[in-house]
Amino acid sequence: MKNNLKYLWALPLLAVVSLTSCEKDDPEIPNEEELITTLVYTLTPDGGGTAVEFRFTDLDGDGGDAPVITNGTLAANTAYSGVITLLNEAETPAEDITEEVEEEAEEHQLFYQVATANATVTYSDTDDDGNPIGIETNFTTGDASSGTLTITLRHEPNKAAAGVADGNIANAGGETDIEVTFIVTVQ
Amino acid sequence: MPNARPRYDSACGRFARPDPRFEAGGHPECSDCDRNVSKGARGFLFSFFLFSFSLFPFISGAQNCTLSISGNVTDEGTGIPMAYGTVYVEELQNGVASDSLGNFVLNGLCKGEYHLRFNHIGCETKTLFLSLLKDTVISINMHHHSELVDEVMVHDHHSQHETAASSTINQDNITEMANKDLSEMLEQMTGVSSIKSGAGVSKPVVHGLSGNRVAILNNGIAQSGQQWGNDHAPEIDPYVAEHISVVKGAGALAYPGGSLGGVVLIEPDEIENDPHLHGNLNYIFQTNGLGHTLNARLQKYDKWAAWRVSATAKVIGDRSAPNYYLSNTGKREYNVAAQLDKHISSKWEMKLYYSLFNTEIAILRGSHIGNLTDLEEAINRDVPFFTQDGFSYAINEPRQAVQHHLLKLESDHIFNEHQSLNLKYGGQLDNRKEFDVRRADRSDLPALSLLQWDQYLEGVYKHFFEHGRQLKAGIQLRLTDNTNDSETGILPLIPDYRGYKAGAFVIFQEERNKLLYELGARYDLNYLQVVAISSSLPREIERHYHTFHNYSFSSGLRYRVLPQLKLNLNMGHVLRSPEVNELYSAGLHQGVSGIEEGNANLQNEQATKLVLSADLNLKKKLFVQLLGYYQYISNFIYLQPEDEFRLTIRGAFPLFTYQQTDATIAGLDALVSYEPIESIKLVAKYSFLQGDDVSNKQPLVYMPSNNLFGSLSYSFKDGETMKNSNISINGKYVFRQLHLNANQDIAPTPDGYFLLGASVGTTFKLKNTKLRCSITGDNLLNTVYRDYMNRQRYFADDLGWNVSVRLNFEF
Repeated sequence: MKNNLKYLWALPLLAVVSLTSCEKDDPEIPNEEELITTLVYTLTPDGGGTAVEFRFTDLDGDGGDAPVITNGTLAANTAYSGVITLLNEAETPAEDITEEVEEEAEEHQLFYQVATANATVTYSDTDDDGNPIGIETNFTTGDASSGTLTITLRHEPNKAAAGVADGNIANAGGETDIEVTFIVTVQ
Repeated sequence: MPNARPRYDSACGRFARPDPRFEAGGHPECSDCDRNVSKGARGFLFSFFLFSFSLFPFISGAQNCTLSISGNVTDEGTGIPMAYGTVYVEELQNGVASDSLGNFVLNGLCKGEYHLRFNHIGCETKTLFLSLLKDTVISINMHHHSELVDEVMVHDHHSQHETAASSTINQDNITEMANKDLSEMLEQMTGVSSIKSGAGVSKPVVHGLSGNRVAILNNGIAQSGQQWGNDHAPEIDPYVAEHISVVKGAGALAYPGGSLGGVVLIEPDEIENDPHLHGNLNYIFQTNGLGHTLNARLQKYDKWAAWRVSATAKVIGDRSAPNYYLSNTGKREYNVAAQLDKHISSKWEMKLYYSLFNTEIAILRGSHIGNLTDLEEAINRDVPFFTQDGFSYAINEPRQAVQHHLLKLESDHIFNEHQSLNLKYGGQLDNRKEFDVRRADRSDLPALSLLQWDQYLEGVYKHFFEHGRQLKAGIQLRLTDNTNDSETGILPLIPDYRGYKAGAFVIFQEERNKLLYELGARYDLNYLQVVAISSSLPREIERHYHTFHNYSFSSGLRYRVLPQLKLNLNMGHVLRSPEVNELYSAGLHQGVSGIEEGNANLQNEQATKLVLSADLNLKKKLFVQLLGYYQYISNFIYLQPEDEFRLTIRGAFPLFTYQQTDATIAGLDALVSYEPIESIKLVAKYSFLQGDDVSNKQPLVYMPSNNLFGSLSYSFKDGETMKNSNISINGKYVFRQLHLNANQDIAPTPDGYFLLGASVGTTFKLKNTKLRCSITGDNLLNTVYRDYMNRQRYFADDLGWNVSVRLNFEF
């Protein structure tokens, strides 16, 4: 009987011993295809001229190295056309995330909040329901001033809520996928 | 008890083989006694502690249908006859009462098989199966269980033979609450609370500590799952358990190390020696969430082996707060378990156990947030975002899907009257996937996907000496492997790792007259192999190795000052090594909107806990239990909010890092139960706890609020078919957590609140079957409240009123 006992217990013992002898395998590095590393807000003067680029880049995602932010200087009392480009530059070649947002236009909206600088932003695009998306905008500057511009991308906002279609984020709800702040100088 | 006679052991529910340990006058094995108590004591005033009796053939040559069963019931401790108990024969639908001298006679019985039920005031009916061939005399020795507790029977059974304080809930109570989670069941014990993430996810907190600091033993095997997150509930179906205990003292050295807070034991019982098929069917409907819970259990003691199978199915939809639906808070759960016990010889028993836990839990949609701005906005809202007007059973993202397998093989070997050996193997597989609301149809891809397997091997040797001395020593080996699945497309929050643990312990115990004392020591060697992915570019594989040595000591004594008064003192020093999340977690913890960073330089936590308890029991009318504790933890690991904000594309997040400090936790658990007359019972409970960070001179966060509980119950006299009829009303007041600085939380702590509950129930007895019907109401005043220990309090109110209707059929 004691022998039987020994044999039976040899099984799990063997399993444990065999597993203790090896080193843990390397993990597979996930393909971070959903990651947004870069937001570029390109403002092209309606009257022609050089485009101004606001750029936020964080190649390694949350944590790791700090993001790199490029701010822009705009001309006073000028109308610009704005376009947002979202990229995943962790992949080569860089993946265009803007397309993903456009495909799910009803579930996304970008919001533009300007503080202290003399500038206004209005939407110039719509989703299939006739609500704004915010990938394309009209950006109009006033007199010389400076301040901040915060661009927010919300996933699954309530676009029907009061003021949301006009760009007021207060009642939008949803989750924030992007929230970046630039320094805007109007001169 | 005369030697060498077959014993009936009420706890194990079967005729035990002659056990040399008992015959030799050695000290009965401790844990067995504990089990006895808990089962015998099922929720009542006193219980059969050592309910043993002997059977022997008396007069041979009796005719058919003239046989008798007679016997005598005495108190084991004093030898005084126990009057007016009842003995009921199920086959005859008839029974007799024992007289004032404890004698009873059943006459006119035919040859055959009988199920006898023994009852004494307030006690759960015990069934004994016997095959009657001759006139039979049974002598029953009942031991009064002096630790009464309250009506739901949170009784202190372990303290009979252990010096560490513990509380227990029994099977009736477990099935009564089968629609709840393990942690919610434990909450009714004083000193035990839950940390929750909404209605569907809760984990136990014992004396202020939880997660990795509270070991959960399912069937004797330490639960291996994702213990580190507050939003990861233990993967256990409580319905499999015969009883669930919480050991609050620091002396739980026989269990794998690191349990600073306490140990939760989920213990299925042995299968009763009864050749007939017995079963239990339990159904609960709950109004809040329109939930259905169905449990079933079948068991039989066949000649080839004893077996039991059980299964649970739960389908619960969106719960509701008093004023709105908590959209996406439903749950599905499907569990099965099978147990096989085989007596290979009189000295060798093998047990096989397998269980599968399978759940899918919806997380409140409105609690899913992207950044700090979202969180602040959510806190300021009255009704959470995404609240729907209607009810739904649908489970949408965010959600969790978890499968947990447990396989256990156990062998009990008795060498001789003094020595025994228990060997255990446990294998576990835990698969956890968490799904978030994601862009571009990726919601079907988990955002967290972890596969963990765990192998456990244990050998425990026991030696029983003369004069109530015993020695228990054991070796435990454990291997845990945790792997992230890269299917997520997201850098994992905790890295892959492999943990090796080897532990050894020795405990010595001696009982002398009124005194029982215990000394124990334990050593654990923990080796951790971590394979992480770098957080900066280019992504690289980083390997880290850690070795920790943990020493633990405990001592305890129990002194019975008077028959009515018992004192317990327990002191323990326990080390816990940092877990992988504390060492290496890296990334955004969305639920709390913070970036959490591990600290690879963490040292062992060293905790010293002192527990002093006093149990007073006056004439079975008044029972008072006071338990005070003080714990000092040096190098206590906690999440420190740093002054720094980390900028990401989703905005700036506060940075939290794992740091160490010195902390104290002190508290008091009080329980009073009073029965002015037999049918009326009053129970009051109070828990007080205070946790402090001594080094930084500030309170500890996430310590349970103080609370007060009271209940009044009335039991009706048993009728012809309606038995155990009772009605009760209860109230619970949870105080506001005031021991916290305003800057330690992003929102003010919620106000105190009062919840009213009530229940009514009766049992119909028909032939050999029992049907228990009961109705229970929770939060009957529909109080709007939020609880400090519920992470969902930032987003939504807690649950509104609920009525549960339960039917339990037993045969």
